[in-house]
Amino acid sequence: MTAQSLEPSAPAPTVVPAPRGGLTGRRSAGGRLRAAPMAVFWALVVAILLLPIALFLLVAVSPRLFGQGGAWLTLDGFRGALSGPLLRGIGDSLLVGVASALLAAVLGGAVAWTVQRTAVPGRRVWSASMFALLLVPSYLIALGWERLLEPQGVLDLLGVPDGFARTLLYGPAGVIMVLTVKGIPFAYLAIGAGLRGLGEEFEAAVRVHGGGRAAAARTVAGLLAPALWSALAIVFAESVSDFGVAATLANDAHFPVATFALYNAVDNFPVQFPVAAAVGWVLLGMAGLALLAQSAALRGRSYRVLGGRTRPARRRALPKQAAAAAVAGMTLLVGACLGVPAFGAVSASLIDGLGSLLGSHGFTLSNYGRVLSSAALRQPLLFSTQLAAVTATVTVLLGLVVARTLTGRRSRRSARLLDLLLLAAVALPGIVFAAGYIFAYNLPLTNDLGIHLYQTTTLLVLGYVATALPPAARVLFGAAGQLQESMREAGRVHGHGPLGSWLRLTLPLLARPLLSAWSLTFGATVLELPVSQLLYPPDHPPVSVGIEKALANYDYGGGTAMQVIAILAALLVIALVWGVFRLAAPAGWRHLGRNA
Amino acid sequence: MISWKRRDAGVGAAVLLLAVAATACGNSAGGTTTAGAAGSSGTASAPAAVAPLVVYSAQGYDAPVTKAFTAATGIPVKLDDDSTGPLLTKVSAERNNPQWDVLWVDGDTAFAALDKQGQLLDYTPPVTLTPAGQALVPADHAYIPVSTTVVPALIYNAAKAAGAAPTTWQDLAGAAYKGKVGMNDPSQSGPTYPLIAGLMNQLGGQNGGVKAGESFLTRLKGNGLHVFPTNGDTLHALETGQIDYGIIQSSAALGEVAKAPKNANFDPKIVYLPQSTLLPGVIGIDKGAPANLQAEAEKFVQYVLSPAGQAAMQSGDPSGDSLYWPVVPGVSPRAGMPPLPAQYQRLDPYFWGPLENQINTFFDTDIK
Repeated sequence: MTAQSLEPSAPAPTVVPAPRGGLTGRRSAGGRLRAAPMAVFWALVVAILLLPIALFLLVAVSPRLFGQGGAWLTLDGFRGALSGPLLRGIGDSLLVGVASALLAAVLGGAVAWTVQRTAVPGRRVWSASMFALLLVPSYLIALGWERLLEPQGVLDLLGVPDGFARTLLYGPAGVIMVLTVKGIPFAYLAIGAGLRGLGEEFEAAVRVHGGGRAAAARTVAGLLAPALWSALAIVFAESVSDFGVAATLANDAHFPVATFALYNAVDNFPVQFPVAAAVGWVLLGMAGLALLAQSAALRGRSYRVLGGRTRPARRRALPKQAAAAAVAGMTLLVGACLGVPAFGAVSASLIDGLGSLLGSHGFTLSNYGRVLSSAALRQPLLFSTQLAAVTATVTVLLGLVVARTLTGRRSRRSARLLDLLLLAAVALPGIVFAAGYIFAYNLPLTNDLGIHLYQTTTLLVLGYVATALPPAARVLFGAAGQLQESMREAGRVHGHGPLGSWLRLTLPLLARPLLSAWSLTFGATVLELPVSQLLYPPDHPPVSVGIEKALANYDYGGGTAMQVIAILAALLVIALVWGVFRLAAPAGWRHLGRNA
Repeated sequence: MISWKRRDAGVGAAVLLLAVAATACGNSAGGTTTAGAAGSSGTASAPAAVAPLVVYSAQGYDAPVTKAFTAATGIPVKLDDDSTGPLLTKVSAERNNPQWDVLWVDGDTAFAALDKQGQLLDYTPPVTLTPAGQALVPADHAYIPVSTTVVPALIYNAAKAAGAAPTTWQDLAGAAYKGKVGMNDPSQSGPTYPLIAGLMNQLGGQNGGVKAGESFLTRLKGNGLHVFPTNGDTLHALETGQIDYGIIQSSAALGEVAKAPKNANFDPKIVYLPQSTLLPGVIGIDKGAPANLQAEAEKFVQYVLSPAGQAAMQSGDPSGDSLYWPVVPGVSPRAGMPPLPAQYQRLDPYFWGPLENQINTFFDTDIK
């Protein structure tokens, strides 16, 4: 933007380009100022996404570069990856990814619609439940269900016949169910953000022109396409790259998925990074399919519906029976999604030997007392909370730039590259993503240059940011994609600078999605495990490493108590942040983002 | 414009790298200072600038042992305490530029592989080990056994197991044990590959052991063998009555017997099937580490093998890893532990280590 545009009386700069020449010096200075943040952004993208991902994937074809084999150029990794059990794993992963994405989109969309468009009792509870669900690691959901349905499990003890349900759980249906549960909040956030921005003018327009409810629904679904595809793509990518369920339920059910084959390659000695990297290529290919489908579905259409005139939709009052049915449905869903894993964790941490032959089954707070009284257990929680706060803040800022870049009208090539990188970050399981960080930042060359990032808190946070950026950007994508560019341009025409127009026009519209993305990132980072394990600085273990060690040493009571405390702490921080928003944010911000 | 943009990008990247490098330096400095401070609180007269020893360890007692070592020698330690799997993944990823000075985990197969890659410093501590300890020392002294457990320990619920406890592996394939036996998955449980390799070694040695072992495991599967991810899951299955017999590592079994309350329904007991395979706690030293850190690492090994070090190991994780058999003469196991099983074998990690992926794949495909 030139200096001229800062003058209120100046002609609209977007339609009257300034002549080249005379103002070159000022234009260059302005250009530098504008370009510098983007240059930093892209440098950061290269540093935290491109470099680690590229170097890790390079190991598949050139293991010798990183001391992982004798060949400079080979396809042996792919031969290892595409033989035996992995082929079945790839097929299983595709099935699980597609099924859980579709189911999560349907259920997440239904929850978003119910919460935002109807006066269903307990809306805030349901909405908060979706956030709480984001914080629950997938393996905890799987273990909760296993605890309920395993032989001699809770249902067996209560005398409830559960043979059929057990057969279903310990099979593809169970794996799909758990991954769907984990995917619902992602779909809810993506579709909810789109739905919120849509208002109800379009439905009203259809109805005014004689369309029925079905026609209105079709129109809304069409306009929500970016959010729907966003939900499908992210749940698919999250599901195929999920490791928590792969290592627990899928493994117990002897239903191998691709991520478990990858885990086998990196967790058994000698570690086979070339094979793991080849599996990484396969996972990337699967995620690429989702991206292609999304891109093909949306190509050449505009979905810019969010503007200053968008009116929040009215919430429809439900007849008594419908309200009761809606509450029952939501209760069932939240019970299955949150209640079961919560029961699993609470029963393990609060009740001695539930379901076991130990006999006592006594209620005890000793596990919590042990965790809270031990500095060695408290400090990691504090450390993780601090890191999560920094990570969430940085991620949300970057996520916004990412969302704008992805939805912007310019630089399609850079948008595609960025989208691919983000999907790669989702598709690659955390442990190999973190290994890529070691390859990139523990190079002797990097150390010779005086850069010692590896095993520092900085690199750990950068790793967290890279892991959290794709879901955060996806959460913002729906709302940012609907933001009409003309609003910002109108602001500029009326005299606001770039920052001023962003603060006055864009920020209020995006405040709630931004806060949602912050909450999501914060919660997910507090309990993040694979990146923490490989990148944490010695002597400063994050809380997830402590939990994992406790569980691995069969201290289920202590481990689950730490989990419950960590999740409660994360929820408390998130509640505080939203509380401050409600109290301190300008009324317009709160009003614009509310569900009417 | 293009040139400006490029320059801006360059400036931006340089600023970022500088910022990151500055932060990183700050972090490293912070880490060193902290470690140095820890060192200065020690009783010995080590100089304040002494470089911290980086220890990667999966032992439950590593934190108290490293603290005691610092207190005794003044050498600060930076401890990376994690499970064996992630630690070895990290060691492998760092192969071009190792950051660890000392690696301390259970099992010697990984150390044999590191030795073959030329990553380990040969070192013989000035301590004569017990016969079991000496059996575990490799010919080239590339790593140091400092304790041992055994696999398998067969833990069973005596309250439910009506008949006599099994006395051989073959018993477990009999009708009396149908559907009642559980073990861990070697892909997820560190001690379980040595357990399977030990079984194979026992059944057919290095020539026919793999085939004989695969055949026996297939028989066990036919007899209803249950496979759970790790020691903890197998113990959970035992506690909940899904199985009556669990084949796990001795320290986990001893811990369960020590911890679990006993009643009419649950009374865990242990038998050791001949032969027990030694599963040592092992320390390796990075061959590429600077000489001063290698010297510190050697002192660390000496400390761990000293009575003080052994005492710290035995008190650090009383219901877990502390339940090992010492390999230092004159040091007794923790009170209440049985003697080391008389019939034990030592696995050659240089032979069995490289077979791990092949055998685990067989297990994943045909047994699970």
